[in-house]
Amino acid sequence: MVKKSYRKLRVAKDLTRMMSAYYAKIKVTSRLQPVAWVSSGAPVEVLVALGVLPLYPENYGAILGAQRVAVPLIEEAEARGYSPDLCSYATGHLGSVFAPEKAPMKGLPQPDMLVASNNICGTVVKWYEALADHLHVPLFVLDTPYVHGTEITDHAVEYVAAQMEAFIAWAEKLTGRRLKQKRFMQTLELSNEAVALWREIRELCVHRPSPLNAPDLFTQMAPIVVLRGTKQCVSYYRKLKAEVEERVESGIGAVPGERYRLLWDNIAIWPGLFRFYHLFSRAGACFVCDTYTHAWSMGLRTDDPIEGLARAYTAVYINMSIQARVGMMVDMAQRFGVDGAVLHANRSCKPYSLGQHDFRRAIMAKAGVPALILEADMCDTRAYAEGAIRTRVEAFLEMLSAA
Amino acid sequence: MTDQDSKPSKAMETLQEISAWPLDRWPEQFPDARPFGYLNTHVPEEVLHAAGFTPLHVFGQRRAPERAETRLPGFTCWLVRSALDAAMAGELDFLAGMAFAHTCDSAQALADIWRLAVPSVPVLTLGTPVDLDTAGAREFLIADLGRFRDQVAALAGCLVTDSDLRASIALHNEIRCQVARLYALSDRLPSSTLLAALRAGHLTPRETYRDLLADLLTALEAENNPVVPDTPRLIVVGAHLDDTSLYEAIVEAGGQVVGDLLDLGHLHYSELAGEGGDPLAALADRYLAQVPIAAKTHPDRRRDDALLNLVRAHAADGVVLAPQKFCEPHGFDYVTMKNALDRADVPHLLVELEQAQVTGQMRTRLGAFVEMLS
Repeated sequence: MVKKSYRKLRVAKDLTRMMSAYYAKIKVTSRLQPVAWVSSGAPVEVLVALGVLPLYPENYGAILGAQRVAVPLIEEAEARGYSPDLCSYATGHLGSVFAPEKAPMKGLPQPDMLVASNNICGTVVKWYEALADHLHVPLFVLDTPYVHGTEITDHAVEYVAAQMEAFIAWAEKLTGRRLKQKRFMQTLELSNEAVALWREIRELCVHRPSPLNAPDLFTQMAPIVVLRGTKQCVSYYRKLKAEVEERVESGIGAVPGERYRLLWDNIAIWPGLFRFYHLFSRAGACFVCDTYTHAWSMGLRTDDPIEGLARAYTAVYINMSIQARVGMMVDMAQRFGVDGAVLHANRSCKPYSLGQHDFRRAIMAKAGVPALILEADMCDTRAYAEGAIRTRVEAFLEMLSAA
Repeated sequence: MTDQDSKPSKAMETLQEISAWPLDRWPEQFPDARPFGYLNTHVPEEVLHAAGFTPLHVFGQRRAPERAETRLPGFTCWLVRSALDAAMAGELDFLAGMAFAHTCDSAQALADIWRLAVPSVPVLTLGTPVDLDTAGAREFLIADLGRFRDQVAALAGCLVTDSDLRASIALHNEIRCQVARLYALSDRLPSSTLLAALRAGHLTPRETYRDLLADLLTALEAENNPVVPDTPRLIVVGAHLDDTSLYEAIVEAGGQVVGDLLDLGHLHYSELAGEGGDPLAALADRYLAQVPIAAKTHPDRRRDDALLNLVRAHAADGVVLAPQKFCEPHGFDYVTMKNALDRADVPHLLVELEQAQVTGQMRTRLGAFVEMLS
């Protein structure tokens, strides 16, 4: 009998139900509400307050990866000229647009508008341009200047704020609706509340044993991405937080017999959500913190909502310099008391993957723990060398046990 | 041979030599210059020049990387890996600094990694709007150009005045007009010479470059009965080319290059900056008036339209699309271009560039492509 190395959350069932209902519901509501396809770092609060249904091609890409059905869709994009080296969220999703008959749920409901912000990468600009061309729908690009220095400059804040105003006017014109201040503020507050709860839940993993492991975080992040700014999102995270607190109080860890505490860097290896992470959990290694789910942790100032949105959406984790991220990662490693770090060199994601050698050095030098760089892909199983990865993970775990 | 006959070939020869120099020979060739490196278009050369620097593009080197592999994953484009490798090997220590304008995710990361890996060569960055038509773009760019100018001035140890900038803008405008004339005469030049002349523009002190181009143009325009080869006419699309081998391979295959949509070619020299008023505003306005490079966007000013216009203007028979492997913006852009060319019935060929710019297989494919056009 296979040793059980993983404890499931009770709320996991609620999440599955909620997300299935969400995807079932959007098929209906998309006929009644305007639909926007948005990048994960788009200021969705404006759209939610305008009664627009935001849908997330990146989340859809992650679902394709987790269900291990991305490759045939990526190949549909490749047949139309897209290179296998491009982001597999983009090519998987584009494949679902080109060949909806092959896609889970027959793809996402058609959009009335597209919104992409380059605060997560430049790829979304090109990806959404391609969508706008193919679907003939209007595109808004929100430009959030990358923060090379330590602070966002005043002129960058003013620039993003000017675009935020233009974005509101653009969305109002397309929907024929006015953004009502009261509803907008409520949405911002709901977004803030969910983000705060999510931050607190993640912080509970400083406890030993950690109540959550990376696969929990990766699946539990879905609402903060796709339902941000809604009551449903807040009430779900309240429930999750209660269960996680209960685990902490009872000393229950996500990984039974937690031996090693690890940090994860980069987007999840979705197709290996259980098999890959199981290589660690069966050895008692738990990923107690990560840099991916950390991306949704910035609160919004509500006293000046436009400037608040401008600052929060410019200061997302991946839009900050490698130097700043080195600092955040070392701080995370120290606060969560990790014994090692695994950095996923994700062929699909250059903003996350370039700089990892510097992260590795800093973690080793400043947190004093070993760090492993593993090359794979977030969705494309063709880039996952099972044997080589298993060997390297086992060697890394052996090194931890010898430490 | 008359003096006039020998002058253009001399200028042509010099431009070709400069284009072919390995970077480490640069300091001995221009011992009085203070070179300041850059890696992509949109670094405002005028600002560097006005501070007394010579902007110098760091082209990819033709050798296996030794050190960059310790800082970058293997799925990084050759342009970025090669530049970091040269810097880590100390080959760029003669640069007063390195400037990055915001273009793609990889160049953006390289600026940060450079600061960590090669602290001896200071890095400056400039934010450039991704959507050339967006609200607040002009104000943001003017402000960031001001910040950039102050940082350049601090490294130069001098003030950069508006009048310095205006003089520099005038010089660069003059060069842009010369390059436009050169493109108009492109079929009178061997293709590799055309590219060498363009590449030299990124490697030569700008006053010298202007004089060399003037000599070349005078001679080309003076030709009474220019021999225009009757071979398939091609346009090349991409970021930039590390050497002239692709153009040479096109000629070997029986074709000629009559124009390009290279970031560091046609696009780099397009649009003039205003020579009066606030010079930073003039630089910002020029940026916003350009056709976007692949990493940028504009809702109406489309790259595929620009390409089709070039095809028509040069009466081109086909297009060679030459993105760098692992380049995300050009990887997506390729499909947009391909679709537009298909709609317009313009034949095209994809050649993906890696460390070696031209491979044997690529030559075979180019041969077949040109033969089809003949």
